[in-house]
Amino acid sequence: MSLSGEMIAFILLSLVAIIGGILLINLTRVVHMVIALVFTFISVAGLYVLLSAEFLAAVQILIYSGAITIIMLFGIMLTRHNDTSEKTAGVWRKLLLIAGIAGFGLASYAGIYNLDIPVQETKLHEDNTRQIGMALYSDHMIPFELTSVLLLAALIGAIILAKKDDEKKEGEES
Amino acid sequence: MVEDLLASSPGLLNFGIFFLLATVLLLVILGFVTYAILAERKVMGFMQLRQGPNQVGGRWGLLQTVADVLKLLIKEDTIPKSADRPLFILAPVIAFAPAFMVVAVIPFTDKLQFADIGVGLLYYIAISGISTVGIVTGGWASNNKYALLGGMRAAAQMISYEIPLVMSVLGVILLAGSLNLNDIVDAQSSGWYILKQPIGFIIFLVASIAELNRTPFDLPEAESELVAGFHVEYSGFRWAFFMLSEYVYLFAMASLTTVLFLGGWGPLPFMDFIPGAVWFSLKFSLIVFLLIWVRVTLPRLRADQLMEFGWKVLLPVALANIFLTALLKELFNFM
Repeated sequence: MSLSGEMIAFILLSLVAIIGGILLINLTRVVHMVIALVFTFISVAGLYVLLSAEFLAAVQILIYSGAITIIMLFGIMLTRHNDTSEKTAGVWRKLLLIAGIAGFGLASYAGIYNLDIPVQETKLHEDNTRQIGMALYSDHMIPFELTSVLLLAALIGAIILAKKDDEKKEGEES
Repeated sequence: MVEDLLASSPGLLNFGIFFLLATVLLLVILGFVTYAILAERKVMGFMQLRQGPNQVGGRWGLLQTVADVLKLLIKEDTIPKSADRPLFILAPVIAFAPAFMVVAVIPFTDKLQFADIGVGLLYYIAISGISTVGIVTGGWASNNKYALLGGMRAAAQMISYEIPLVMSVLGVILLAGSLNLNDIVDAQSSGWYILKQPIGFIIFLVASIAELNRTPFDLPEAESELVAGFHVEYSGFRWAFFMLSEYVYLFAMASLTTVLFLGGWGPLPFMDFIPGAVWFSLKFSLIVFLLIWVRVTLPRLRADQLMEFGWKVLLPVALANIFLTALLKELFNFM
């Protein structure tokens, strides 16, 4: 494990991702949590760049920046502004939890560190946007189309649900 | 010059050089922002039969913005008592950082570009979406109803208009066959895409004005309705950061429009003795002027009109444009 620039970038990005995840669980206010989530998603996109999957990274940010904004709006609209959560766990339980997590971390670290993954020569990192397009529209054409039909059905379902609500309201008012 | 640097092996020296170059670019952009604000006020003044700034810095008011920025810098930094302190401080940073990040992929000339990413266009659109998170955060953290309303409007507007923006660009991508901004400029050597994609250009222009939150789409900061929108509670340098990110986006969006539709640094026929940088800045200035012109001419839309226009007009027209482009390209091998 040498300390190259890539390694430094990896350490920084993964630290931000993990800290964002931990904060997401531990913070009490919804908007704070969402901001923590933003950091996690962006640093995951950074990790994709390190793996030279730049298309995936751009799409990750493109999709999630919109999604996160929506989550944030729902968080603002559906929760009370000054809500506080009550602490439930005792000290002993927390200590046990930490011990358990540390044990699990050590075990999986040892397992992964000694795992020998055979490296095979691939050309996936060259021109990967073109390769993704080729794969989607040739080998995986049917799953791709099925996914789009599924999404379309979900979209139409959402429209129908929202539409019905509207009519009822108008009926009540008149 | 930059290409050799991009291809060279990484090291501390390279890091230093890039850091220096980025600082120079930041200063250049700050200079642009200073004079873009002045130009905007001057042009608005002339169009409304007024003088515009003409006191500070000679007859043309050349130091007006410098004086304004100095005022903002030495202003007291206020944070409202019931505001959410950490997010209030973080929000301008989240809003500004992506604005500067997107400039990295813009190819100014064939030699001057900071990052030659394969998916440059997608990168631009993706990163610019993060700014809205900063705006919504700022609106929420201010703990003020007008700020929150402004933030909500910004989010709704960003999501509604990002879709037509991406769809209008798809026509260009279809014709160029690449997401790389350099390839797109090269593909325009035979003819600019404003001629081959006129519908796409108009949709892109409208959607980009909406993404820039400028009049007639400046609902997130509509003065007459929301006091000042999402930045009501901000003052001093934090407020300056919001304004700065807005004008850096103006710079980036005008550059992107130049690259996508006006052939980037490419010259007009028989005029290639003029260097690419001059061509780029001419076209770029034209777009900036156009954006200012639109701002002065048109009144603000209502919120419901804004949504209807985005979803019922721009999106179907953009989809039809993609369909038409694909048909023309496949059937007649046109363009």
